[in-house]
Formats: sequence, C-alpha cells, structure tokens
Amino acid sequence: MLETIAQAVVNGLLIGGIYALVSIGVTLIFGVVKIVNFAQGEFVMIGMYISFFLATRFGIDPLLSLVISMPVLFVIGVLLQQFLIRRVLALGDMPQIFLTFALSLLLVNLALLLFTANYRTVQTPYSELTIHLGALYIPAAKLIAFAVAMLLSGALWVFLRATDLGKAMRAAAQNRDVAMLMGINPDRVFCVAVGVALALAGAAGSLLMPFYPAYPMVGQVFVLMAFVAVVLGTLGNVTGALIASLMMGVAESLGVQFVGADSGLIVVFLLLLLTLAIRPNGLFGGWTR
Amino acid sequence: MTRKLFSPARLWLGALAAIVLVLPLVVTSHFALDIFIRILLFAFIGVAWNLMGGYAKQLSLGHAAYFGLGAYTSTILLIRFGISPWIGILAGGVVAMLASLPIGALCFRLRGPYFAIATIATAQVLMLLFLKFRDFAWGAEGTTIPNLGDSPLMMQFDSKAAYYYIALGMLALGLAITYWIEHSWMGYYLVAVGEDEDAAEAIGVDALRIKRHIYLISAFLTALAGTFYVQYIYFIDPTTAFSFNVSVEAALVSIVGGIGTLWGPVVGTVLLEATSALLQSWLGSSHGGVQLTVYGLILIAVILWRPAGLIGLLTEAYARIVRAGPQREKEALLDG
Repeated sequence: MLETIAQAVVNGLLIGGIYALVSIGVTLIFGVVKIVNFAQGEFVMIGMYISFFLATRFGIDPLLSLVISMPVLFVIGVLLQQFLIRRVLALGDMPQIFLTFALSLLLVNLALLLFTANYRTVQTPYSELTIHLGALYIPAAKLIAFAVAMLLSGALWVFLRATDLGKAMRAAAQNRDVAMLMGINPDRVFCVAVGVALALAGAAGSLLMPFYPAYPMVGQVFVLMAFVAVVLGTLGNVTGALIASLMMGVAESLGVQFVGADSGLIVVFLLLLLTLAIRPNGLFGGWTR
Repeated sequence: MTRKLFSPARLWLGALAAIVLVLPLVVTSHFALDIFIRILLFAFIGVAWNLMGGYAKQLSLGHAAYFGLGAYTSTILLIRFGISPWIGILAGGVVAMLASLPIGALCFRLRGPYFAIATIATAQVLMLLFLKFRDFAWGAEGTTIPNLGDSPLMMQFDSKAAYYYIALGMLALGLAITYWIEHSWMGYYLVAVGEDEDAAEAIGVDALRIKRHIYLISAFLTALAGTFYVQYIYFIDPTTAFSFNVSVEAALVSIVGGIGTLWGPVVGTVLLEATSALLQSWLGSSHGGVQLTVYGLILIAVILWRPAGLIGLLTEAYARIVRAGPQREKEALLDG
C-alpha cells in the first residue's frame, strides 16, 4: 500500500515537472503582460512536432533538439507579442481573452490539417529504460525530463532575480506605470516575457517527445493542468505555479491510482473549483488583495 | 400612426419573417435544410450566451454544461420513464437553472479570465461525471434515442421541416426575451454591470443578483437547445452533450456578430455557418480542421479590426442606403 502511494507520488512529481514548464509560462505572461494565454498548450504541441521532425528527418535526439525548439519558440513568442497581443492590450476583457483563444483554435486545426490527427512517437534508446530504486520504478525519460524542467525553472528564477532584464520584468509586473517612469521600456520587456514563456513551452514539448505522443490536440491536456496550477499558485506568481504544478501532478496521479483511470482530471478540477470557492486568489495570494 | 406601424425596421423584420417562414416550403433539399437548422440552433445558443457574455460581459466558456444537462434530462426522462421530450425539454431547462445557482455562486466572485477558466472547469467536471454514470446515464458509450417513427407528441418527425420550425420558434423566443430584457430595467442594470461592475455597485445595483438572474435565463435557454439537438440527431453521449465546441461556438458566433446586440449572434452564425458550408462543398469533408482553422482566422480578424462585431458594418451600410435617398435628391437640387 505504502509502496503504491510512493510510486503514485513519484509518477505525479515527474509529470508535474512538465506541467510546471507550461504553467510557469502562463503565469509569466499573465504576471507581466496581464493576458491569459489560452494557446500556451499549442506551443507545447509545436515544440513536440519540431522535435518529432528533427528526430525522424535528421535523427536528432529529442532532448538535444531542445536547443532548436527553445529559440524557435522564443522568436515566435516575440512575434506573437509584437503583432497580436500588443494590439489588444488597451482593449477590454473580451478581446484579451478571445485573441489567444482564437489563436489556440487556429493552431490546433492548422496542425490537424498539416499533420493529420495521427499520434506521432519517437523511439529513443532510453524510452523504455527504467531505473529501480528499492521498490520504485522510475522511467529514465521522465526522470530526465523532470530534471531538465527543474533546471530551466531554476534558471528562470535566477534570471528574474539576478539580471537587469529580469528585474525590469518583475518591476513591470508589479506596476507597469511606475516601471515606465523608471525608464523601463515595456514593449521590450513584454516581448522577452512572452518569448521566454513560449521557449519554456517548447522545452516542455521536446522533453515530452521521448515518452509522449505528439498529436494536434495534445496541448489541451497540458494547458488545462497549467490553468489549474496557475490559479492554485496565484496568477502571476512563478514560484507558486511551480509548487502548484508538482502538487497537481501528484493529485492527478493519486486520483488515477485510487479513484479510477479516468478520474485524474475530476480530482484536479474539483481541487480547482474548491480553491476558487475558498481562496479565489490562490494558495499563495494572501487573504487580501 | 400608420407611419410608425410601417417603419422601415418593421418592414424589414416582416420581410425577414416571411422569408424564413416559407423557406422550408421552397427548399426541400435535406442538405440545405440541415444547414438551416444548424444555423437556427447555433444562433439560438449564441443568443442565450449573449445574455450572459454580451450584456453582462461574463465571458463564459462553459455553456456546454447547460446544453448537456438539458440533453441528458430529457433523454433520461424519455428512455427511463417514457416521458415526452416536450415535457423533458422544460424539465431540462429547470435542471439547468437549478445547476446555474451553485455554479454561479462559485464563479461570479471571479472576474475576467478567472471566470472563463472556472466555467470551463464546471463543464468539464460535468462531462467527466456523466462518463462515470454508467448504470443511469449509459456512461461513455452513450445511447441512441429510440426511433418511434413520425410521432409529434414525442418530438420525433419524418420531415426535416418540423425540426426547422421548432428551431425557428426557439430562436424567436430567445430574441423576444433578449428584446424584452434590453428594454426593461434589467437591461440597463445588465449593461451597467457589464461596463463597470464596481461603479454599478457604487450606485446601488446589486450586481450579484443581476448576474444570477441573467444566468438563470441563459442556462434555461441553452438547455432547450440541448434537448432539441439530441432529439434531432437521435444520439447522446457525454462528449457530444458536454462538447467544448458548443461552449466555443456559442461565444464565437456572438463575438463575430457583435456581443451585447440583439441580432449579433444571428449575424455571426449565418456568416460562420455559411462559410463552413461553402468550405465543405468546395473541399469535401475529407480535410479535417479546415472549418475551425477558418473560424480561428475570422475570430482573430474580428478581434483585431472590429472588436464590436460585424453587425456594425451592416447597420452602417443600412444607414448609408437609407440616407442615400434624400441626399441624392438634395444633391440633384443643388446641381439644378
């Protein structure tokens, strides 16, 4: 029994690392640009297809293709901010919510059109490898993905605290007007924020590829998780999103283990609704706002 | 008096009503009627969504919850208890209204994107729950609705025209309710809440109460569409009844047409469904994804260039035509 729980917790933590990359991106964009990116999952999907084609056409290992998918997605992010998001920043709730929503609709169906609904997988030497740790089974691909995800999250944390650009980003997140008065160029900061967020989504895609199939709708699995994690961890709070993502992963995994194979999501959504009912500002939002 | 009775707007409305009423008598192709029924149905769902999303600016992405509850209530009553869907459709509406109370209590404290995400979650939870109700609601496999032949009392008809008129009736009902709300105290309160909730509260509008009321109406109407839809396609399962696409399309048609306007959802649905029908006849149905790709493009274009919706284009064009008459005479006079 204890071993089953421990195994479920480990599985949850490992996939939670991927959720973290997606939700950190969502929360970063929300924190800095004040937009909820409904299309974040679709950028994970794009990352997966990049890795898939690099692996099948050029034999590049999916993990190695990280160094290509991340910069590509960063550039897409800068373009997205510059040509789409920037134009709705002064508008109301409706355009701000539905622009990225429309983008998600567009990207999913464009992928369906170009790549069909088929599941694409990449076999790597470590795809089937598992490490035995006492009674626990740890799939190597998931462990690597988790480790890299944590490394990238840590790098972002350092970037936000130790570099001028990172500090400018946090300043813009706290108070856009005052940041502008201090000489921070919001356009540049916003571009970098969206770029970094999309690069993280691209990384998540590449890291998933060795053990998860790519298909047009794949992003929706991750974006729903990310939304829950981001709300739980308080919109705009990077550390909160990281901790909440790991919790979500564990909650989902325990749900699958003890309530039934199709119950992981129910547990997660009920957690979300419960949180919204009791603490609408998330677990890390404090009581007042 | 006579001038008021035959104002241009009323004449147009009368002409439109006459056309849609005789349409199924002229057009007998099943394919075309099917498209018309889809247009009427989704325009109706859009009208229901628009009450919440357009007037109160509560951008719900979870209206599939009420669509599904309506569909399941009438189907369970029909198959398990032999009760006519005509009663079931009203029962479904009542169930949806009851469900909207706790969902509203939970979600109304949230604003903007929080609200949208929470409504997605409620619809998803309902879908996942119905996947689990195997004994009572047929679980994931769903069920077909027993075909009783041509039995109007059980909301089953041989002719597509009958479904057309029911859908038309629902749309007319939705538009009438919207018109009535628009011109009542509730409409003004709604717009005030939609514009600025805090300011509305400050001048004494009970925003929570208003949102609750409009959500009840919106949920009721959406549930009617759910019952109608399963009766029309003779099949129900959780992914059809609680399909995220229903929530999306409800919002989409309203936004493209123009949110917070009486005719916006209708204009949006006609445009989107006509586009999709044209695409289908050009490309065939083999190209999965074309329709929604185009919807995505249209939506982005509308948001960037016409966030108030395309209905503005129509009214401007109409105003230009109406004004053009007298102006031309004036110009003629000046020229003379």
